[in-house]
Amino acid sequence: MIFHSLDFVVFFILVTAVYWRLRHRGQNILLLAASYFFYGYVHPWFLILIASSTVIDYLAARGMERHPDRRRLFMALSIVSNFGMLGFFKYFNFFVDNLHVVLEAAGLHVGLPVLRVILPVGISFYTFQAMSYTVDVFRGELRARRSLLDVAVFISFFPHLVAGPIQRASYLLPQVEQARRFSLPRATSGFYLMVWGFFKKLVIADNVGVIANKVFGLNDPSFEVLWAGVFAFAIQIYADFSAYTDIARGSSRWLGFELTENFDHPYLARNPADFWRRWNISLSTWFRDYVYIPLGGSRAGEGTWARNVLITFLLSGLWHGASWNYVLWGLYHGVLLVLTRAHEILRPAPRVSRVSYRAVLQIPVMFALTLVGWLLFRETELSAIVRDLKLMPWHSSAFERQAGLYLFLLAFGYSVPLWAQSVWVELHRGKTRSDEPEAGWGIAVLKAVACGAAFTAILVLRSRTSLDFIYFQF
Amino acid sequence: MKARAAARLLLAAAGLLLLPLGLRAANRRHPAASLQPSYLPALSGPRERQPFEAERVTDLARMNPGLVVIGDSMAGSRIDPALLTQLTGRLTAPLLYAGSGPAWWYLALKNWVIASGIRPRAVIVFFRDTNLTNVLFRIDATWSLDTAALEREDDLNAAVARRRGTTFYRLRDAFDRLYQAEEARRWIEPAVSEWPARLLFPFRRPRAAFLAQLNERFGLEHLRPMDAADMQATEDREADFDAFVDRSQLPLMLRDARQAGLTLVLVRVQRRPVGGRPPVQSPALQRYVGKLKAYVEANGGIFMDDTGDPAETLDLYEDGDHLSRDGRRRYTETFAARLRQRLP
Repeated sequence: MIFHSLDFVVFFILVTAVYWRLRHRGQNILLLAASYFFYGYVHPWFLILIASSTVIDYLAARGMERHPDRRRLFMALSIVSNFGMLGFFKYFNFFVDNLHVVLEAAGLHVGLPVLRVILPVGISFYTFQAMSYTVDVFRGELRARRSLLDVAVFISFFPHLVAGPIQRASYLLPQVEQARRFSLPRATSGFYLMVWGFFKKLVIADNVGVIANKVFGLNDPSFEVLWAGVFAFAIQIYADFSAYTDIARGSSRWLGFELTENFDHPYLARNPADFWRRWNISLSTWFRDYVYIPLGGSRAGEGTWARNVLITFLLSGLWHGASWNYVLWGLYHGVLLVLTRAHEILRPAPRVSRVSYRAVLQIPVMFALTLVGWLLFRETELSAIVRDLKLMPWHSSAFERQAGLYLFLLAFGYSVPLWAQSVWVELHRGKTRSDEPEAGWGIAVLKAVACGAAFTAILVLRSRTSLDFIYFQF
Repeated sequence: MKARAAARLLLAAAGLLLLPLGLRAANRRHPAASLQPSYLPALSGPRERQPFEAERVTDLARMNPGLVVIGDSMAGSRIDPALLTQLTGRLTAPLLYAGSGPAWWYLALKNWVIASGIRPRAVIVFFRDTNLTNVLFRIDATWSLDTAALEREDDLNAAVARRRGTTFYRLRDAFDRLYQAEEARRWIEPAVSEWPARLLFPFRRPRAAFLAQLNERFGLEHLRPMDAADMQATEDREADFDAFVDRSQLPLMLRDARQAGLTLVLVRVQRRPVGGRPPVQSPALQRYVGKLKAYVEANGGIFMDDTGDPAETLDLYEDGDHLSRDGRRRYTETFAARLRQRLP
């Protein structure tokens, strides 16, 4: 089921209405049933995967606690089953394709099997979430839960099941276990978030997505047109993914849950490290805690640190998809981090305040570097990436320059609310949050007007081409 | 505290629902509101339309073809009209529109072929998988639909209304009517999409020339192979023949052809082979095709299915489901032979 459908609206209203009439255990049973209904709505067989993953991780965690001497065995069981499923559905064809290329190059013509099933949506997200539970139990940072129901709700909680944000067991499980009370201020803030999320998805992401799709559909883009398309894609992916997060967080608040934030205005980042503190925060912290730190982090010298960063980002790229362009994208960001660190070592920068002239220069440079990364991310063919990177502005005709400028302005126009919000938040960082209950009536009226304006825009500016959430494919 | 919080939530909800009513007032200030009703009121409100291409009727009457081919780029990349004429001995008239859908194919049959009074040996319509029972497929392509539509298209409108008569569309239409959103879209959308062009070209003529050139820039000849092919996947939810046939234009096509004494040949093209084999078909799609064939034949039509044809190998294809120039020639030859068997 997708958020921007009437099915979801009806489903969500019904679930919420019944939910608050139940006691705690009943609420959890309803959440599990609703989550499984949500997930299996189009493809019921997906439920077999999530249910087996849940049962195996539940048993593995219990086994670790009951038999501490066999913890490693149970951990291995969890890892093999989770990554086995993920690897099979997500990377099998990638592996076979590449093996085929290697064998062909060696003169061996072997017919290899191809998996003809669709990738279960959200498998990368819930696998990582489930793994955080068993790893934390293995490390002794979390106790294994007795209730299979609670673990199942934690893994399948429908608002964020398909595209995150990935929640840690230590953060979400206690919320599943504790009695929840309906809070009107929380529900109101959830309402604002959902409206903002729908606006970002339907008005911004889908409209600029059409521009990006058109540009990336060209076989002969010019420099200007290509980079206007990359800019459009940068807006699309941020608006799209953060919209999903907002709707997930907003709907969770109606159910008495609080999910972690996943984005912190990433296009105002000043350097690569800052970008990764702001972009897909739940995934980057997952990789930090479960890959980068176990590899040794920054404890063993600069060389080892650089290796650990590159491995972590390579895996992060591969997590996004079974394709070499994602690997390139991950490596590119790893290299950016390493180079930034090298630059800092050679030329230590003075500490600066959050808003400064230096930041005004750093932000556009970092945004330009991010755009190069999005080119690698969006272009699935390596030959096309090479062609794109060879494009130079002085080869373009006047029309191509005008077309590029037109497309850029069009995408920028749609993204103005996004930029305005980011700049406003950045300038007011650390000050009172306007969605706190004590905020004045003036703010409440402004927000009501903003909700009305957002809904008006959805009615008249929603794209006629409805696109899926980008992160569904991961 | 609780009352205050409730008031805030109500305020937000009221803002959300009431502010868009301003669109009604804004529409009154705009001339777009005085447009004529659409020929498909079930789909859209009053709007500007392209003129009906009446000259097609006279052209067909003058040409008096032996075969008429209707379809989108699937037909265009498969049939070479001159070659088919030569191979079958019947003059072939193509009525093709890239990016068109079944609603256009129906209108082309009714308003051009039947209206011209000609009696070709067959009217051949090419389609993919579930196209024929999905009247909404590409129905938003109004630039093509307008060319074949009269001022009223009651039968097609009824089919569209039946197809869109789900709760989702009813609710969405109710919102659109309440806020006059469609009317507002007609003047807001161009303003939003054209403002960069207005900025770059303040004068109307160079602006129009630029936008026309921009459209050409994204034309089929500039697209990558897979994008040009419009690989719109068939979803299993569309492969429910019983649920959709009476909510589509298919019964109208068969009825009108029968009443006009025309033989309607419906050709399901084979989609791009994968791994040297025809593309995998889900059990639902296989059931759907079986029912479609039976229905077409029971209603006087001829059903042909290219899927699994050993002659249609991957080397015929260029991009996506489109055939190459050489593939088109070879397909036309094979098709002419098959047609001779079905239409002696």
